[in-house]
Amino acid sequence: MTFEDPILQLISDEAGKCINCGFCESVCPTFPAVGFNSIYGARGRVDLGNYLLREISEKGKIELRFSDSFYSCLSCNACLQVCPAGVNAGRVSELSRTVIANLDYFNEQNEQQIAKMIVSVTMKYMNPLGVREKCSKWAQDLHFEDGSRTLFYTGNMFQLMPYSTSLGRMKKLLGKKLSQRFAGFISKHPSLIKVAGLSLDKKMKSYMETELRNIVTLLESSGISFSYLGKDEPYPGTFLYDLGYEKEFSEYANRVYSLLKAKGIERLIVADPHTYDLLTSKYPKYVRGFDLEVLYYLDILDTKKFKKSDASTTLHEPCLLTRGGKINNSPSRLLSNLTNLELPKMSGENTSCCGGPDELLYGEIAEKVSQNRFLQLKSVNAQKIVTACPICFANLNKSEEVIELPNLLTSLLNEN
Amino acid sequence: MDISSGLRRISGNNVLFSKEEMIPYTRDASEHQGDFPLAVVIPESVQELSQIMKYCYENDVQMTARGGGSSLTGSSVLNGNGVIISLSKFNKILEVKVEDRYALVESGVRLDDLNEFLSKYDHFYPPDPASSRVCTVGGSLSTNAGGLRGAMYGVTKDWVLGIEAVLPNGEIVQMGGMTLKRSAGYDLTALLIGSEGTLGIMTKAILKIWPKPEKVGRVLSYFEDIESAGKAVASIKGKGINPQVAEFMDRISLESIRLTKEIEFPEKTNYMLLLDIASTKESLERQLKEVATMLSEFHPISVKVTTDESEMQKMYEARKGLYSSILSQRKSTSERVVLSDIVVPTSELPATLKEVKESMESFAIRAAIFGHIGDGNIHANIFVDLSSKEKVESVERFQKELGMISLKHAGSVSAEHGIGMEKKDLLKEEFRLKNSPGTMELMKSIKTTIDPKNLLNRGKIFDV
Repeated sequence: MTFEDPILQLISDEAGKCINCGFCESVCPTFPAVGFNSIYGARGRVDLGNYLLREISEKGKIELRFSDSFYSCLSCNACLQVCPAGVNAGRVSELSRTVIANLDYFNEQNEQQIAKMIVSVTMKYMNPLGVREKCSKWAQDLHFEDGSRTLFYTGNMFQLMPYSTSLGRMKKLLGKKLSQRFAGFISKHPSLIKVAGLSLDKKMKSYMETELRNIVTLLESSGISFSYLGKDEPYPGTFLYDLGYEKEFSEYANRVYSLLKAKGIERLIVADPHTYDLLTSKYPKYVRGFDLEVLYYLDILDTKKFKKSDASTTLHEPCLLTRGGKINNSPSRLLSNLTNLELPKMSGENTSCCGGPDELLYGEIAEKVSQNRFLQLKSVNAQKIVTACPICFANLNKSEEVIELPNLLTSLLNEN
Repeated sequence: MDISSGLRRISGNNVLFSKEEMIPYTRDASEHQGDFPLAVVIPESVQELSQIMKYCYENDVQMTARGGGSSLTGSSVLNGNGVIISLSKFNKILEVKVEDRYALVESGVRLDDLNEFLSKYDHFYPPDPASSRVCTVGGSLSTNAGGLRGAMYGVTKDWVLGIEAVLPNGEIVQMGGMTLKRSAGYDLTALLIGSEGTLGIMTKAILKIWPKPEKVGRVLSYFEDIESAGKAVASIKGKGINPQVAEFMDRISLESIRLTKEIEFPEKTNYMLLLDIASTKESLERQLKEVATMLSEFHPISVKVTTDESEMQKMYEARKGLYSSILSQRKSTSERVVLSDIVVPTSELPATLKEVKESMESFAIRAAIFGHIGDGNIHANIFVDLSSKEKVESVERFQKELGMISLKHAGSVSAEHGIGMEKKDLLKEEFRLKNSPGTMELMKSIKTTIDPKNLLNRGKIFDV
């Protein structure tokens, strides 16, 4: 099928290659998490993509509710790894979310009010929960090299975790309908998001702030100096892209870029896989002349500064570092050199998602996906279960053995 | 009729009703478009399944079972008004008893998951269909699936000791058992294998398992013509060497895996032969050398021996994904691929392949030819341009012709994919040519006895 609408054509190009063999469904983490209902599996999403195209082609609109299927896709790309035909079912979901967000062909029952709320708040505050200022508090007594053109850019990701876990609980408490109504109201009155900002998981806040400080310690011990924007630091816009709000993301990414350029920034050191992926694979497509150098903090650490440990570890590798923009000092390489690392079932390019990307919209799915993954990690029986992404930590933090990589690495720093 | 309250009463949230949720269940891995189900039920226990089936039976509701949804003949989609029953939650491996050589598993366990589990015991379950990543025990039993290791280990029916199934009226029945031998009346286990879910829905299976071979090595050889490759395999088998895997692929297949998996081949190649030799550590090298020498006598372009596990695995995965990856070789986006599956005695392979090629030319068909040369099983991945009615009809005629070629050479119209909705006419033809139309009637009378209302997977294998 051919379409004038470029997004529909991209869906057709991707889904049209599918022969429906089902290989993708066998590795899709959301399929078992939702009781094996096929519209929550990778193959089902491609089937819906093809159905969507037929319906638009024949009727010009979709009367059914597809949003839960496409929005619950974790975009972990596990499906792509096993597809013999190279079909990216995750991409089909991503593009379909854009079609839904545009509302050109879908009716309003497909609208995701929470997604709309996040978009509206992000565009107003440059932070998805309107807590931009609070996101700088972890660094209030630290000293950075003001004026340095190398910026430590957290993207607010670590800092948002205590809010998102707390919001997840609130959503559960309110129930699906009420939380959608609440979100719909906030999307029209974004300043009311401050109410949500009052609620946060204090233990998670303390852990995440310590992690950011650990990363600063690791960088400084490798002799690297950098500046930090403090309360001016903007969120990079990950949700806007992931939720399918392409136009808004494009505008927002350009705003972020202009802000960084106005501060004289030339180089970014980033500390989480999601921000790294967004800046290295999406910004260059949406920001004309994007010329910031983006470094992953692990890649610039001086590995000679660490001592070896006898501890047994297992590692949950983040999807975006194994299947997305790869880095040299990968967590698995570091841990295999420094500890007794045993990887779990499903590792490397076949790693399994923690469920994190579903936390805000589909908390129950996220919980089941993370529980399944946690059991795989736990079955290794290692002393430490290491995560290497704040979202993965927030979702897999189900026992005392779970530890974030910066925490572990800081404990392995040589004393002098 | 409204069956929603009845199904909900039995299965609660394990029933899906909304139209969007039905969409994926109208397709399997074949090109057959199934009907929209009235509901999809995903039961959690055999008791729940039994109640669901009893309810459907009493209310004249058709039922179609679905495992991994990887059928290539449309046997896991609905043909008419009814419900789909998904066995996805029957996914537990219940018992492995190495000394008795069996594993007791639920029918929704995927074959690769089973083999990963068995590898802890240094054992494996040999049937190895290319869809092993997704297909389930129940689905593979219901089509008597074969696979790549068929050359040495045979097909599914050779590895099943017993079955638990639910009959159309909801009755739970046990067949066979945990012993390697059994001579106790009619072999109803064998009856259910290959029955494509038309007689009962399988819930458990007792599968024979086997120690993993000590070491496996591979000989790849490249030929300009298929006759030489066929003769080479016959010669190797004639000398008492039985490869664990004996596969061939034609040039279109090779170009497809070059594109998707970056696996190269010598430029003049028209056919590649892949032979896996399983042996002891001590004798593997000698046997690989013997096979390579024998192959050299049939004028290959080149012969390559490897024991590199990652290289072997990459090629193995490429072969298993061939059905899907061949779509990368289509000439327009309106082209799809339909997969054919025939079998002949291995000695008839060279002549059969020659006729298949001639038929492709006369029907102006473009197809990738590959398959299990070790057991005479040929697959043709046929490109069909759905925008041209004429071309679609030509492919249908070619499919029929392939079946007739296999029958002419004492083969069968289906080797391992089953009949489904696709080959009902060809099945009739198979028995007509054998002067045994009574066999079809016998099958129908068995169906009518077990499923008098014809509710279970109606319209598959034959029409009653």
